[in-house]
Amino acid sequence: MSALTFKMKQRPDQRVDLSCLTPDRLAGMRSKDIEALHIGTTRSKLCVGDLFKVSGDETSQIRFVGTDDRCDHIGARFGEGEVLVDGDAGAYLGASLKGGTLTLKGDAGPYAGAAMSGGTLDIGGNAGERAGGVLVGEVHGMRGGRLIIRGNAGPMLAERMRRGIITVCGDADDYAGARVVAGTIVFLGKVGRFAGYGSKRGTLIFKKEPKEILPTFADCGVIEFTYLKLLERHLKEHDVKLRLPRRAQRLMGDMAAMGKGEMLILR
Amino acid sequence: MTDIKRKGVNIVDTFAEAFPMVGTRVVVTAPTAEWAEIAARTMTGFATSVIACGAEAGIERKLSRDETYDGRPGVSVLLFTMDKDKLQKQLRNRVGQCILTCPGTACYAGIPGKPSLKLGSSLRFFGDGWQMSKVIEGRRFWRIPVMDGEFVCEEKTGYTKDAVGGGNFLVLGKSHEGVLKACTRAVKAMSQMPDIITPFPGGIVRSGSKVGSKYKGQIASTNDAYCPTLKGAVDSELPLDVEAVMEIVIDGLRPRPSPPP
Repeated sequence: MSALTFKMKQRPDQRVDLSCLTPDRLAGMRSKDIEALHIGTTRSKLCVGDLFKVSGDETSQIRFVGTDDRCDHIGARFGEGEVLVDGDAGAYLGASLKGGTLTLKGDAGPYAGAAMSGGTLDIGGNAGERAGGVLVGEVHGMRGGRLIIRGNAGPMLAERMRRGIITVCGDADDYAGARVVAGTIVFLGKVGRFAGYGSKRGTLIFKKEPKEILPTFADCGVIEFTYLKLLERHLKEHDVKLRLPRRAQRLMGDMAAMGKGEMLILR
Repeated sequence: MTDIKRKGVNIVDTFAEAFPMVGTRVVVTAPTAEWAEIAARTMTGFATSVIACGAEAGIERKLSRDETYDGRPGVSVLLFTMDKDKLQKQLRNRVGQCILTCPGTACYAGIPGKPSLKLGSSLRFFGDGWQMSKVIEGRRFWRIPVMDGEFVCEEKTGYTKDAVGGGNFLVLGKSHEGVLKACTRAVKAMSQMPDIITPFPGGIVRSGSKVGSKYKGQIASTNDAYCPTLKGAVDSELPLDVEAVMEIVIDGLRPRPSPPP
Protein backbone atom coordinates (compact mmCIF):
# COMPACT_ATOMS: atom_id res chain seq x y z
CA MET A 1 0.00 0.00 0.00
CA SER A 2 1.30 3.45 -0.88
CA ALA A 3 0.53 6.86 0.61
CA LEU A 4 -2.68 8.49 -0.57
CA THR A 5 -1.30 11.26 -2.79
CA PHE A 6 -3.00 14.42 -4.03
CA LYS A 7 -1.02 15.98 -6.87
CA MET A 8 -2.27 19.44 -7.82
CA LYS A 9 -3.05 19.78 -11.52
CA GLN A 10 -3.21 23.59 -11.74
CA ARG A 11 -3.45 26.65 -9.50
CA PRO A 12 -7.09 26.90 -8.32
CA ASP A 13 -9.16 29.92 -9.38
CA GLN A 14 -10.60 30.18 -5.87
CA ARG A 15 -9.43 29.45 -2.33
CA VAL A 16 -9.94 25.80 -1.46
CA ASP A 17 -10.83 24.23 1.87
CA LEU A 18 -8.93 20.94 2.24
CA SER A 19 -10.05 20.16 5.79
CA CYS A 20 -11.85 17.06 4.51
CA LEU A 21 -8.61 15.48 3.28
CA THR A 22 -7.25 14.16 6.57
CA PRO A 23 -6.48 10.59 7.68
CA ASP A 24 -9.44 10.52 10.08
CA ARG A 25 -11.98 11.68 7.54
CA LEU A 26 -10.75 9.64 4.60
CA ALA A 27 -10.44 6.34 6.46
CA GLY A 28 -12.43 3.63 4.67
CA MET A 29 -13.41 5.85 1.71
CA ARG A 30 -13.06 4.70 -1.90
CA SER A 31 -10.98 6.70 -4.37
CA LYS A 32 -14.09 7.62 -6.39
CA ASP A 33 -15.83 9.03 -3.31
CA ILE A 34 -12.73 10.99 -2.33
CA GLU A 35 -12.53 12.61 -5.78
CA ALA A 36 -16.16 13.72 -5.45
CA LEU A 37 -15.60 15.64 -2.18
CA HIS A 38 -16.41 19.32 -2.44
CA ILE A 39 -13.48 21.63 -1.62
CA GLY A 40 -14.52 24.91 -3.23
CA THR A 41 -15.32 28.04 -1.25
CA THR A 42 -17.30 30.00 -3.83
CA ARG A 43 -20.52 29.42 -5.74
CA SER A 44 -18.65 27.71 -8.54
CA LYS A 45 -18.42 24.02 -7.71
CA LEU A 46 -14.97 22.49 -7.24
CA CYS A 47 -14.30 18.88 -6.28
CA VAL A 48 -11.10 17.07 -5.26
CA GLY A 49 -10.91 15.34 -8.66
CA ASP A 50 -11.09 18.70 -10.48
CA LEU A 51 -7.97 20.02 -8.76
CA PHE A 52 -5.93 16.96 -7.80
CA LYS A 53 -4.76 13.77 -9.42
CA VAL A 54 -5.40 11.17 -6.72
CA SER A 55 -3.24 8.06 -6.35
CA GLY A 56 -2.38 5.57 -3.61
CA ASP A 57 -4.67 4.07 -0.98
CA GLU A 58 -3.05 4.31 2.45
CA THR A 59 -5.30 6.84 4.17
CA SER A 60 -3.19 7.00 7.33
CA GLN A 61 -0.40 8.52 5.21
CA ILE A 62 -1.49 11.44 3.07
CA ARG A 63 0.76 13.38 0.73
CA PHE A 64 0.03 16.65 -1.06
CA VAL A 65 2.24 17.62 -3.99
CA GLY A 66 2.43 21.04 -5.63
CA THR A 67 0.01 22.86 -3.34
CA ASP A 68 0.13 26.67 -3.08
CA ASP A 69 -1.02 29.50 -0.83
CA ARG A 70 -4.65 29.09 -1.89
CA CYS A 71 -4.91 25.71 -0.22
CA ASP A 72 -6.44 26.41 3.19
CA HIS A 73 -7.13 24.12 6.17
CA ILE A 74 -4.63 21.42 5.16
CA GLY A 75 -4.45 18.86 7.96
CA ALA A 76 -6.87 20.80 10.12
CA ARG A 77 -8.37 19.03 13.16
CA PHE A 78 -6.99 15.55 12.49
CA GLY A 79 -6.07 13.29 15.39
CA GLU A 80 -3.78 10.57 14.11
CA GLY A 81 -1.79 9.61 11.06
CA GLU A 82 0.72 11.45 8.92
CA VAL A 83 0.32 14.26 6.41
CA LEU A 84 3.20 15.48 4.26
CA VAL A 85 2.81 18.60 2.13
CA ASP A 86 5.34 19.03 -0.66
CA GLY A 87 4.55 22.63 -1.52
CA ASP A 88 3.13 25.72 0.19
CA ALA A 89 0.00 25.99 2.30
CA GLY A 90 -2.64 28.66 2.73
CA ALA A 91 -4.35 29.70 5.94
CA TYR A 92 -5.19 27.43 8.90
CA LEU A 93 -2.57 24.74 8.19
CA GLY A 94 -2.96 22.23 11.02
CA ALA A 95 -5.40 24.48 12.88
CA SER A 96 -6.95 22.62 15.85
CA LEU A 97 -4.59 19.70 15.20
CA LYS A 98 -5.15 17.02 17.84
CA GLY A 99 -2.42 14.45 17.12
CA GLY A 100 -0.33 12.81 14.43
CA THR A 101 2.34 14.49 12.34
CA LEU A 102 1.88 17.24 9.78
CA THR A 103 4.96 18.26 7.79
CA LEU A 104 5.07 21.15 5.34
CA LYS A 105 8.08 21.64 3.09
CA GLY A 106 7.22 25.18 1.96
CA ASP A 107 5.68 28.29 3.50
CA ALA A 108 2.44 28.48 5.48
CA GLY A 109 -0.20 31.23 5.53
CA PRO A 110 -1.81 32.77 8.61
CA TYR A 111 -3.13 30.80 11.59
CA ALA A 112 -0.85 27.76 11.09
CA GLY A 113 -1.25 25.50 14.12
CA ALA A 114 -3.75 27.88 15.67
CA ALA A 115 -5.51 26.32 18.66
CA MET A 116 -3.75 22.99 18.08
CA SER A 117 -3.91 20.67 21.08
CA GLY A 118 -1.54 17.82 20.21
CA GLY A 119 0.67 16.23 17.57
CA THR A 120 3.56 17.77 15.67
CA LEU A 121 3.35 20.50 13.04
CA ASP A 122 6.67 20.99 11.28
CA ILE A 123 6.85 23.93 8.85
CA GLY A 124 9.94 23.85 6.67
CA GLY A 125 9.61 27.47 5.46
CA ASN A 126 8.04 30.61 6.90
CA ALA A 127 4.78 30.86 8.79
CA GLY A 128 2.32 33.74 8.39
CA GLU A 129 0.76 35.80 11.15
CA ARG A 130 -0.82 34.28 14.27
CA ALA A 131 0.84 30.84 14.01
CA GLY A 132 -0.03 28.82 17.13
CA GLY A 133 -2.44 31.59 18.00
CA VAL A 134 -6.08 31.86 18.85
CA LEU A 135 -8.90 31.11 16.40
CA VAL A 136 -11.90 33.38 16.12
CA GLY A 137 -14.39 32.56 18.86
CA GLU A 138 -11.90 30.63 20.98
CA VAL A 139 -10.47 31.65 24.33
CA HIS A 140 -6.99 30.12 24.03
CA GLY A 141 -4.41 29.63 21.31
CA MET A 142 -2.24 26.55 21.04
CA ARG A 143 -3.10 24.06 23.83
CA GLY A 144 -0.53 21.33 23.35
CA GLY A 145 1.76 19.54 20.92
CA ARG A 146 4.80 20.83 19.08
CA LEU A 147 5.00 23.54 16.45
CA ILE A 148 8.32 23.90 14.66
CA ILE A 149 8.83 26.79 12.26
CA ARG A 150 12.15 26.34 10.48
CA GLY A 151 11.90 29.71 8.69
CA ASN A 152 10.53 33.01 10.00
CA ALA A 153 7.31 33.55 11.95
CA GLY A 154 4.86 36.37 11.26
CA PRO A 155 3.41 38.76 13.85
CA MET A 156 1.30 37.68 16.84
CA LEU A 157 2.96 34.27 17.10
CA ALA A 158 1.40 32.09 19.82
CA GLU A 159 -1.17 34.64 20.94
CA ARG A 160 -2.92 33.38 24.11
CA MET A 161 -1.02 30.10 23.96
CA ARG A 162 -2.00 27.75 26.80
CA ARG A 163 0.38 24.75 26.55
CA GLY A 164 2.87 23.12 24.16
CA ILE A 165 6.24 24.00 22.70
CA ILE A 166 6.91 26.29 19.72
CA THR A 167 10.34 26.58 18.13
CA VAL A 168 11.16 29.34 15.64
CA CYS A 169 14.45 28.63 13.88
CA GLY A 170 14.42 31.91 11.95
CA ASP A 171 13.23 35.37 13.04
CA ALA A 172 9.94 36.26 14.68
CA ASP A 173 7.93 39.41 14.04
CA ASP A 174 6.26 41.80 16.52
CA TYR A 175 4.07 40.69 19.43
CA ALA A 176 5.55 37.18 19.56
CA GLY A 177 4.17 35.40 22.62
CA ALA A 178 1.63 38.14 23.31
CA ARG A 179 -0.90 37.39 26.06
CA VAL A 180 0.52 33.89 26.56
CA VAL A 181 -1.15 31.99 29.40
CA ALA A 182 1.41 29.15 29.59
CA GLY A 183 3.66 27.04 27.35
CA THR A 184 7.15 27.47 25.92
CA ILE A 185 8.43 29.35 22.86
CA VAL A 186 12.04 29.04 21.73
CA PHE A 187 13.43 31.75 19.46
CA LEU A 188 16.66 30.95 17.68
CA GLY A 189 16.73 34.11 15.53
CA LYS A 190 15.87 37.75 16.03
CA VAL A 191 12.61 38.84 17.59
CA GLY A 192 10.53 41.92 16.82
CA ARG A 193 9.03 44.44 19.23
CA PHE A 194 6.67 43.77 22.15
CA ALA A 195 7.60 40.09 22.69
CA GLY A 196 5.66 38.66 25.62
CA TYR A 197 3.25 41.60 25.75
CA GLY A 198 0.57 40.92 28.37
CA SER A 199 1.76 37.38 29.12
CA LYS A 200 0.53 35.85 32.39
CA ARG A 201 2.72 32.76 32.63
CA GLY A 202 4.72 30.82 30.05
CA THR A 203 8.35 30.82 28.97
CA LEU A 204 9.98 32.71 26.11
CA ILE A 205 13.52 31.51 25.43
CA PHE A 206 15.83 33.65 23.30
CA LYS A 207 19.08 32.47 21.79
CA LYS A 208 19.80 36.07 20.75
CA GLU A 209 19.03 38.91 23.10
CA PRO A 210 15.98 40.82 21.83
CA LYS A 211 16.72 44.41 20.81
CA GLU A 212 13.70 45.71 22.69
CA ILE A 213 12.42 44.25 25.92
CA LEU A 214 9.21 45.57 27.41
CA PRO A 215 9.84 47.64 30.55
CA THR A 216 7.23 45.53 32.36
CA PHE A 217 9.62 42.56 32.49
CA ALA A 218 11.71 42.52 35.68
CA ASP A 219 15.32 41.34 35.57
CA CYS A 220 16.09 38.42 37.94
CA GLY A 221 19.74 37.99 36.89
CA VAL A 222 21.64 35.07 35.39
CA ILE A 223 20.84 31.64 36.86
CA GLU A 224 21.46 27.96 36.03
CA PHE A 225 18.41 26.05 34.75
CA THR A 226 18.26 22.23 34.72
CA TYR A 227 15.01 22.57 32.79
CA LEU A 228 16.92 23.76 29.71
CA LYS A 229 18.55 20.34 29.45
CA LEU A 230 15.13 18.68 29.33
CA LEU A 231 14.08 21.07 26.60
CA GLU A 232 17.29 20.53 24.61
CA ARG A 233 16.71 16.78 24.66
CA HIS A 234 13.12 17.26 23.48
CA LEU A 235 14.16 19.54 20.60
CA LYS A 236 16.88 17.12 19.55
CA GLU A 237 14.27 14.37 19.26
CA HIS A 238 12.40 16.60 16.82
CA ASP A 239 15.44 17.32 14.69
CA VAL A 240 16.08 20.81 16.03
CA LYS A 241 19.81 20.87 16.61
CA LEU A 242 20.47 23.35 19.36
CA ARG A 243 22.90 23.24 22.23
CA LEU A 244 21.24 25.05 25.09
CA PRO A 245 23.60 26.40 27.74
CA ARG A 246 22.57 25.81 31.33
CA ARG A 247 22.82 29.47 32.27
CA ALA A 248 20.30 32.10 31.24
CA GLN A 249 19.24 35.59 32.22
CA ARG A 250 15.72 35.47 33.64
CA LEU A 251 13.22 38.27 33.35
CA MET A 252 9.78 37.90 34.90
CA GLY A 253 6.67 39.50 33.49
CA ASP A 254 4.57 40.86 32.08
CA MET A 255 4.13 42.76 35.34
CA ALA A 256 1.26 44.66 33.70
CA ALA A 257 -0.60 41.33 33.59
CA MET A 258 -0.15 38.50 36.13
CA GLY A 259 3.65 38.71 35.93
CA LYS A 260 4.44 35.02 36.38
CA GLY A 261 5.76 34.50 32.88
CA GLU A 262 9.44 34.54 32.09
CA MET A 263 11.97 35.37 29.42
CA LEU A 264 15.14 33.31 29.44
CA ILE A 265 17.97 34.89 27.46
CA LEU A 266 20.59 32.21 26.91
CA ARG A 267 24.16 32.92 27.98
CA MET B 1 19.49 -31.70 54.53
CA THR B 2 22.45 -30.78 52.32
CA ASP B 3 21.18 -30.01 48.85
CA ILE B 4 24.32 -28.68 47.15
CA LYS B 5 27.96 -28.63 48.10
CA ARG B 6 30.04 -26.11 46.18
CA LYS B 7 33.68 -25.20 46.84
CA GLY B 8 33.37 -26.67 50.31
CA VAL B 9 30.18 -24.74 51.12
CA ASN B 10 26.98 -26.56 52.01
CA ILE B 11 23.89 -24.90 50.53
CA VAL B 12 20.75 -26.06 52.29
CA ASP B 13 17.35 -25.38 50.76
CA THR B 14 15.15 -24.64 53.78
CA PHE B 15 12.87 -21.68 53.07
CA ALA B 16 13.03 -18.11 51.84
CA GLU B 17 11.03 -15.31 53.32
CA ALA B 18 8.90 -13.45 50.75
CA PHE B 19 6.44 -10.74 51.68
CA PRO B 20 4.28 -9.02 49.08
CA MET B 21 5.25 -5.33 49.01
CA VAL B 22 4.61 -2.22 46.95
CA GLY B 23 7.64 -0.57 45.44
CA THR B 24 8.67 2.42 43.39
CA ARG B 25 11.75 3.83 41.71
CA VAL B 26 12.89 7.44 41.38
CA VAL B 27 15.91 8.80 39.57
CA VAL B 28 17.89 11.50 41.34
CA THR B 29 20.34 13.63 39.36
CA ALA B 30 22.83 16.27 40.46
CA PRO B 31 25.65 18.39 39.00
CA THR B 32 28.20 15.70 39.98
CA ALA B 33 28.06 11.97 40.67
CA GLU B 34 29.17 12.68 44.25
CA TRP B 35 26.22 14.95 44.97
CA ALA B 36 23.79 12.55 43.30
CA GLU B 37 25.06 9.85 45.64
CA ILE B 38 24.89 12.10 48.69
CA ALA B 39 21.25 12.89 47.90
CA ALA B 40 20.38 9.23 47.29
CA ARG B 41 22.17 8.02 50.43
CA THR B 42 20.38 10.64 52.51
CA MET B 43 17.03 9.66 51.03
CA THR B 44 17.62 5.97 51.71
CA GLY B 45 18.99 6.49 55.21
CA PHE B 46 17.14 4.89 58.13
CA ALA B 47 15.24 2.63 55.76
CA THR B 48 16.39 -0.87 56.62
CA SER B 49 13.11 -2.41 57.68
CA VAL B 50 9.43 -1.49 57.51
CA ILE B 51 9.15 -2.67 61.14
CA ALA B 52 10.34 0.67 62.50
CA CYS B 53 11.66 2.78 59.62
CA GLY B 54 8.41 3.07 57.71
CA ALA B 55 10.07 1.95 54.48
CA GLU B 56 12.86 -0.14 53.04
CA ALA B 57 15.00 1.77 50.59
CA GLY B 58 18.31 1.60 48.84
CA ILE B 59 20.38 2.59 45.86
CA GLU B 60 19.68 0.33 42.89
CA ARG B 61 22.59 1.63 40.80
CA LYS B 62 24.48 4.70 39.66
CA LEU B 63 23.54 6.18 36.30
CA SER B 64 25.81 7.80 33.77
CA ARG B 65 25.03 11.10 32.01
CA ASP B 66 23.73 9.16 28.99
CA GLU B 67 21.19 7.29 31.10
CA THR B 68 19.46 10.22 32.82
CA TYR B 69 16.74 12.48 31.49
CA ASP B 70 18.65 15.71 32.04
CA GLY B 71 22.08 14.46 30.96
CA ARG B 72 23.61 14.77 34.44
CA PRO B 73 25.02 12.02 36.66
CA GLY B 74 22.31 10.22 38.60
CA VAL B 75 21.34 7.46 40.95
CA SER B 76 18.31 5.21 40.79
CA VAL B 77 16.62 4.64 44.15
CA LEU B 78 14.12 1.94 45.10
CA LEU B 79 11.60 2.39 47.91
CA PHE B 80 9.35 -0.32 49.37
CA THR B 81 6.53 -0.43 51.91
CA MET B 82 3.66 -2.76 52.72
CA ASP B 83 0.90 -0.65 51.11
CA LYS B 84 0.38 2.24 48.69
CA ASP B 85 -0.60 4.90 51.24
CA LYS B 86 2.54 4.32 53.28
CA LEU B 87 4.64 4.34 50.12
CA GLN B 88 3.13 7.68 49.08
CA LYS B 89 3.83 9.20 52.49
CA GLN B 90 7.39 7.89 52.64
CA LEU B 91 8.13 9.03 49.09
CA ARG B 92 6.83 12.54 49.72
CA ASN B 93 8.71 12.90 53.01
CA ARG B 94 11.98 11.44 51.80
CA VAL B 95 12.08 13.36 48.50
CA GLY B 96 10.85 16.51 50.24
CA GLN B 97 13.38 16.36 53.07
CA CYS B 98 16.38 14.74 51.37
CA ILE B 99 16.29 15.53 47.63
CA LEU B 100 14.59 18.93 47.57
CA THR B 101 17.02 20.10 50.24
CA CYS B 102 20.18 18.80 48.54
CA PRO B 103 22.07 21.31 46.35
CA GLY B 104 21.61 21.04 42.59
CA THR B 105 19.44 17.93 42.54
CA ALA B 106 16.47 17.03 40.35
CA CYS B 107 14.08 14.10 40.73
CA TYR B 108 12.43 12.08 37.96
CA ALA B 109 10.09 9.10 37.65
CA GLY B 110 11.85 5.75 37.58
CA ILE B 111 8.80 3.72 36.57
CA PRO B 112 6.67 5.08 33.72
CA GLY B 113 2.89 5.12 33.52
CA LYS B 114 0.17 4.00 35.89
CA PRO B 115 -0.49 3.20 38.67
CA SER B 116 1.35 6.24 39.91
CA LEU B 117 2.31 8.13 43.06
CA LYS B 118 2.47 11.88 43.55
CA LEU B 119 5.97 13.25 43.36
CA GLY B 120 6.28 16.89 42.25
CA SER B 121 2.51 17.34 42.32
CA SER B 122 2.60 17.56 46.11
CA LEU B 123 6.10 19.04 46.52
CA ARG B 124 5.27 21.92 44.16
CA PHE B 125 3.42 23.73 46.95
CA PHE B 126 6.82 24.49 48.46
CA GLY B 127 7.07 27.03 45.61
CA ASP B 128 4.40 29.14 47.31
CA GLY B 129 2.79 30.09 44.01
CA TRP B 130 6.05 30.79 42.15
CA GLN B 131 6.35 27.23 40.83
CA MET B 132 5.95 26.61 37.09
CA SER B 133 4.94 23.41 35.33
CA LYS B 134 6.25 22.28 31.97
CA VAL B 135 4.87 19.39 29.91
CA ILE B 136 7.44 17.70 27.69
CA GLU B 137 6.48 14.63 25.64
CA GLY B 138 3.44 14.06 27.85
CA ARG B 139 5.46 14.20 31.09
CA ARG B 140 4.81 17.09 33.48
CA PHE B 141 7.73 18.61 35.35
CA TRP B 142 7.55 21.15 38.17
CA ARG B 143 10.13 23.90 38.42
CA ILE B 144 10.19 24.99 42.04
CA PRO B 145 12.24 28.09 42.92
CA VAL B 146 14.77 27.41 45.70
CA MET B 147 17.76 29.29 47.06
CA ASP B 148 20.29 27.65 44.70
CA GLY B 149 18.12 28.17 41.61
CA GLU B 150 15.41 25.70 40.71
CA PHE B 151 14.39 22.24 41.86
CA VAL B 152 13.03 20.25 38.90
CA CYS B 153 10.75 17.40 39.90
CA GLU B 154 8.56 15.19 37.75
CA GLU B 155 4.89 15.27 38.69
CA LYS B 156 4.40 11.53 39.19
CA THR B 157 6.24 8.25 39.30
CA GLY B 158 4.84 4.78 38.75
CA TYR B 159 4.79 2.01 41.33
CA THR B 160 4.24 -1.74 41.36
CA LYS B 161 2.11 -3.90 43.59
CA ASP B 162 4.10 -7.00 42.57
CA ALA B 163 7.16 -6.19 44.65
CA VAL B 164 8.62 -8.82 47.00
CA GLY B 165 10.81 -8.43 50.06
CA GLY B 166 12.31 -10.68 52.68
CA GLY B 167 15.33 -12.40 54.19
CA ASN B 168 16.53 -14.80 51.55
CA PHE B 169 19.92 -16.05 52.65
CA LEU B 170 21.40 -17.07 55.99
CA VAL B 171 25.16 -17.45 55.77
CA LEU B 172 26.68 -19.66 58.47
CA GLY B 173 30.43 -19.84 59.04
CA LYS B 174 33.21 -20.97 61.29
CA SER B 175 34.48 -17.43 61.86
CA HIS B 176 32.90 -13.98 62.04
CA GLU B 177 35.52 -12.65 59.65
CA GLY B 178 34.79 -15.33 57.06
CA VAL B 179 31.01 -14.85 57.17
CA LEU B 180 31.36 -11.08 56.84
CA LYS B 181 33.72 -11.48 53.91
CA ALA B 182 31.39 -13.96 52.15
CA CYS B 183 28.35 -11.76 52.66
CA THR B 184 30.18 -8.65 51.47
CA ARG B 185 31.12 -10.43 48.26
CA ALA B 186 27.58 -11.74 47.81
CA VAL B 187 26.06 -8.25 48.25
CA LYS B 188 28.58 -6.80 45.79
CA ALA B 189 27.56 -9.40 43.21
CA MET B 190 23.86 -8.68 43.84
CA SER B 191 24.39 -4.94 43.42
CA GLN B 192 24.93 -5.54 39.68
CA MET B 193 21.41 -6.89 39.32
CA PRO B 194 18.56 -4.59 38.22
CA ASP B 195 15.30 -4.09 40.14
CA ILE B 196 16.66 -5.08 43.56
CA ILE B 197 18.17 -3.54 46.66
CA THR B 198 19.66 -4.97 49.84
CA PRO B 199 18.32 -2.39 52.34
CA PHE B 200 20.31 -3.26 55.48
CA PRO B 201 23.69 -1.74 56.40
CA GLY B 202 26.07 -2.80 53.65
CA GLY B 203 23.31 -5.18 52.55
CA ILE B 204 23.82 -7.46 55.58
CA VAL B 205 21.70 -8.12 58.71
CA ARG B 206 23.31 -9.53 61.85
CA SER B 207 20.16 -9.42 63.96
CA GLY B 208 17.72 -11.72 62.20
CA SER B 209 14.44 -11.86 64.10
CA LYS B 210 11.59 -14.18 64.87
CA VAL B 211 8.00 -13.06 65.29
CA GLY B 212 6.95 -12.33 68.90
CA SER B 213 8.74 -12.25 72.21
CA LYS B 214 8.41 -13.23 75.85
CA TYR B 215 7.93 -9.51 76.52
CA LYS B 216 4.50 -7.95 75.98
CA GLY B 217 4.46 -5.36 73.20
CA GLN B 218 7.67 -6.61 71.58
CA ILE B 219 6.54 -7.73 68.11
CA ALA B 220 9.88 -9.22 67.05
CA SER B 221 12.83 -10.58 68.98
CA THR B 222 16.18 -12.23 68.34
CA ASN B 223 16.17 -15.37 66.23
CA ASP B 224 17.53 -17.54 69.05
CA ALA B 225 17.62 -20.70 66.94
CA TYR B 226 20.38 -19.05 64.90
CA CYS B 227 22.29 -17.28 67.69
CA PRO B 228 25.66 -19.07 68.09
CA THR B 229 25.96 -18.06 71.75
CA LEU B 230 22.74 -19.94 72.59
CA LYS B 231 23.52 -23.19 70.78
CA GLY B 232 23.51 -25.28 73.93
CA ALA B 233 20.57 -23.56 75.60
CA VAL B 234 17.82 -23.43 72.93
CA ASP B 235 16.50 -25.64 70.14
CA SER B 236 19.31 -24.46 67.86
CA GLU B 237 19.50 -24.90 64.11
CA LEU B 238 23.25 -24.41 64.11
CA PRO B 239 26.03 -26.99 64.00
CA LEU B 240 28.37 -26.70 66.98
CA ASP B 241 31.27 -25.30 64.95
CA VAL B 242 29.30 -22.32 63.61
CA GLU B 243 30.61 -19.07 65.08
CA ALA B 244 28.54 -16.45 63.24
CA VAL B 245 25.38 -16.15 61.11
CA MET B 246 24.48 -13.23 58.86
CA GLU B 247 21.41 -12.66 56.72
CA ILE B 248 20.95 -11.02 53.34
CA VAL B 249 17.59 -9.36 52.83
CA ILE B 250 16.57 -8.58 49.25
CA ASP B 251 13.73 -6.32 48.12
CA GLY B 252 12.79 -6.56 44.46
CA LEU B 253 10.33 -4.84 42.16
CA ARG B 254 9.40 -8.11 40.47
CA PRO B 255 8.74 -11.61 41.77
CA ARG B 256 11.09 -13.11 39.18
CA PRO B 257 14.69 -12.09 38.65
CA SER B 258 15.36 -9.64 35.85
CA PRO B 259 18.10 -10.32 33.33
CA PRO B 260 21.36 -8.50 34.10
CA PRO B 261 21.71 -5.12 32.29
